Amino acid sequence: MPMTLEATETKKSKDSSVRDIYLPPERKKVSGGGTAHVSAKNFSIYYGEFEAVKKVSADIMSKYVTAIIGPSGCGKSTFLRSINRMNDLIPNCHTTGALMFDGEDVYGKFTDEVLLRKKIGMVFQKPNPFPKSIFDNIAYGPRLHGVKDRKTLEGIVEKSLRKAALWDEVCDRLDKNALGLSGGQQQRLCVARTLAVEPEILLLDEPTSALDPKATAKIEDLIQELRGSYTIMIVTHNMQQASRVSDYTMFFYEGVLIEHAPTAQLFTRPKDQMTEDYITGRFS
Amino acid sequence: MSERPVHEHLKELSDVLVQLSDKVLQNFNDSLQAVTTQDSQLARRIRMIDDEIDLIEVRLEEQCLAFLALQQPVARDLRTVVTIVKINDDLERIGDLAVHIIERMPELGKEVMEKYGFEKMGSVSTSMVRRAIDAFVTRDKPLAIQVCDTDEEVDTMHRFVFKKVADAMKSGTSNTEQLLAVLSVSRYIERMADHATRIAREVIYLVTGEIVRHNEDTFEKLIQSLKD
Repeated sequence: MPMTLEATETKKSKDSSVRDIYLPPERKKVSGGGTAHVSAKNFSIYYGEFEAVKKVSADIMSKYVTAIIGPSGCGKSTFLRSINRMNDLIPNCHTTGALMFDGEDVYGKFTDEVLLRKKIGMVFQKPNPFPKSIFDNIAYGPRLHGVKDRKTLEGIVEKSLRKAALWDEVCDRLDKNALGLSGGQQQRLCVARTLAVEPEILLLDEPTSALDPKATAKIEDLIQELRGSYTIMIVTHNMQQASRVSDYTMFFYEGVLIEHAPTAQLFTRPKDQMTEDYITGRFS
Repeated sequence: MSERPVHEHLKELSDVLVQLSDKVLQNFNDSLQAVTTQDSQLARRIRMIDDEIDLIEVRLEEQCLAFLALQQPVARDLRTVVTIVKINDDLERIGDLAVHIIERMPELGKEVMEKYGFEKMGSVSTSMVRRAIDAFVTRDKPLAIQVCDTDEEVDTMHRFVFKKVADAMKSGTSNTEQLLAVLSVSRYIERMADHATRIAREVIYLVTGEIVRHNEDTFEKLIQSLKD
């Protein structure tokens, strides 16, 4: 269990003397957030015999952004994909230990994976819009879940595109093919598509690694906008990105969760030597 | 174009610095007032506010360091954070000067403060800090240069006090303790003007990216000042 964000923010605020000058915390508190949304207990993930993620115990805080960093092959994407059971598609992949979402066992016998993936949406490294119109891309999920009324769908499409900060750029060409959008716009479209089914959690697997700096900045700002409304987990190879966008950071190394702490703490005074070496570029 | 969250945060840090400068200047003016009116209650308050200033200075520095570590700013964003850290340090030191002035309260009073023109000297120095902070807010290089130029005016006032004190000491009829206190207060006010000049130079760095400390002209001025 990492140290709470609130503790870092208000370390000295109990001292009445600073009350007349407001010092903004490096990460602002989110109202109604900060409870364990996803909980892992001794959670391991195996590919056949190989233990890719080793006995991870961690709580992911609701409505905050958690970044997962670590070298290639450390298990960060595997851990992320296990949360909405995307690893089920990989043969020989199995898990031990417990992974709970909202108090329910993700890998329970009676878990409805389709419903689970509705609540836990995912955006991948490479933008992957369907070869359909922008409107149909966003309306795809709601239609699948039974929404037929055109007016309702129009409302969902607009709301989702607005949340993904894309509405202003595409509102006059919703009927155009989504593949005609730029890479950055396509990625925000994928975020909008995920938001259309009203998920609780957003899993982002290296969402900007295929984007230019401007599109990356837009996605990072979007993450800040969505923070507070959704629990967001982002896997990134870019440590600077993790430090910029997240409230908590998890550092994985060879399948082991080495450190999980508020980002401001992990990037300024990490507790573990391995974390310190990794984030300062001292790779062995 | 609306501000990006990162730039909004940077603006919040700048705003804290401006608020801190208001607090510091108020405390400094109050210290001169307290000495003039021999107001021990005000003196106590000045010490308390200085503790607050110290606390805010540390917290603002922590926030700036976190910003550097988490956001890795470059170009003007980098210069802004670095400038905030430096000005923050100057403001805290000005805060300390207010307390130093209070410490000389027993030896001084209204008559002495008026005799040596400390009110005028304090007002010029305060205005320098205020204008330097304005230059920071508006990124105004000409205003920052003006502040640097005003330093000479305060230096002249300080030399005037120094000469007057030296003459009084030579005459041998004056209260030495009091003269030393006068000299100290004069020096504290003059130091505040130096901090204002430093702040103004940091603003020039912020605007141009050029570090203007210790350039030839400054050195020449210093030598000249010593000769005078």
